[in-house]
Amino acid sequence: MSVSSATATSIYRSERITLLRFLGLYAFMVLLIMILGSTIYFKLQKDLMLQTKRLELEEYSKELIDGLKLLHIYFDRYRTYPRNPLYRSAIYDADYVQIFSTLKHPEGVQLKKVIYTTDNVIQYIHVLDSYYLGTKYTVVEIDDDRQWFRDTWRDILLYGGVSLLLFMGAGLLLMRLFLAPMRHAIHLLDRFIKDTTHELNTPVSAILSNIEMIDRSRLDPKTARKIRRIEIGARTVSTIYQDLTYLALHHQIASQDTDVDLSRLLAERVDYFKILGESKKISFQTDIQPGIKLHIDEGKMARLIDNLLSNAVKYNRVGGEIFVRLRPGELLIGDSGIGMEADQIREAFGRYKRFDESAGGFGIGLNIVAMIAKEYEMKIDIRSQKGHGSEVYVRWSV
Amino acid sequence: MERLTVTFLLTASLFAAADVNVYEQNCVPCHRRLPVTLERFFFDYLLQYSSEREVKKALRRYLKHPKKKNSLATEELVERYGLMPRTTLNDDDLRRAIDIYWERYKVFGKIE
Repeated sequence: MSVSSATATSIYRSERITLLRFLGLYAFMVLLIMILGSTIYFKLQKDLMLQTKRLELEEYSKELIDGLKLLHIYFDRYRTYPRNPLYRSAIYDADYVQIFSTLKHPEGVQLKKVIYTTDNVIQYIHVLDSYYLGTKYTVVEIDDDRQWFRDTWRDILLYGGVSLLLFMGAGLLLMRLFLAPMRHAIHLLDRFIKDTTHELNTPVSAILSNIEMIDRSRLDPKTARKIRRIEIGARTVSTIYQDLTYLALHHQIASQDTDVDLSRLLAERVDYFKILGESKKISFQTDIQPGIKLHIDEGKMARLIDNLLSNAVKYNRVGGEIFVRLRPGELLIGDSGIGMEADQIREAFGRYKRFDESAGGFGIGLNIVAMIAKEYEMKIDIRSQKGHGSEVYVRWSV
Repeated sequence: MERLTVTFLLTASLFAAADVNVYEQNCVPCHRRLPVTLERFFFDYLLQYSSEREVKKALRRYLKHPKKKNSLATEELVERYGLMPRTTLNDDDLRRAIDIYWERYKVFGKIE
């Protein structure tokens, strides 16, 4: 049961990419909507503030115009500009030339507008019908305490933050809903493989141990060949069994790393696969430097080698070749098989990926290789040419 | 060099005097007889036309073709003293006279 939950909750690479893409797009859309909403809200709040201030400014403007009227009439007697500590003001003629100003920011005046904010002040423009002292535009200015600005930003951040969280929550929920069928399918496949694995163990062991017990010297050559073929078949099944066991249980098993004699292990695995290669008349060429050691879990390294060799056999042509070379820090397994396209190489490590439907198998081999390589920080490099075979390099730091 | 400067200054002041004369000789004498000052007329033009450009344009138009509908004088004033006669000044003199009139009564720099 614990095995089942471990694999069921694991998120596979393709699923994670889909998830991230969806989340990215969703977050982008949500942000776009929120920025739009915030902009509208900000503008509305600003307009509201300006409308409130406008009444006050209109009063000041009337007062100023009354003062200008008196100044216009009695200009020959006194020339003092009407001032009020509550506001600052300026007057402009019809050609936008400033006649007089007590403004703090005369450079920000926009005579074609009515009311606006600039440089922390609010300015209100009034157009006169009678041009006292030649004044066509009066500008009345008061300080903007920016309280509305702070309040608006606080609201935007507060409500925006809450909305963002809600939206993202809804997004996650939606995503789970969309991905449910995919998760279900993968879960079913995993369950099927686990059940199959469990049922395979006993019969395969029985077949292999019984074949080993047969005294082949007493058999006639025809029967011996048949037994050989049965052995090859049983070994293939055994390899698949070990892969599946690894996949089903590797989350649970702690690696038992030891100094493994890689040269010996590789030679053993090559010998094992020579028998499997016989059915396709595949010849093996080995160039294994003796005495190369690696600190690794032997079982896992065997799975890595087995899967690469198994692929080299599986995707090889009849009468093909397999080349195995081991050097410090590098293992090369090459074949003269069908090869892969560039985009196939990129997808090669995905689970349940098979490039030749006729070759059989579950498509889990390279996925296992990738998992083990990742655990031990090994680098895998596939060089392949369609129709000419593939070379798989496994590299690790020495 | 000094002589040159003196000559230049003399010429400039002569021209300035000539300009003042254009306004003083052609505008002031007649208006002196009216109960409304030239300054009051100036402020009526400001009230109606606002900017320097507009005021000068309106003055030029009126002085060249004085019409009742263009006049800023009150009806009583027109009835009593009649419309002012069409100017006899050439364009340059008229422009100079108006410029002097503007400079004399403009509000720019006078508001405290």
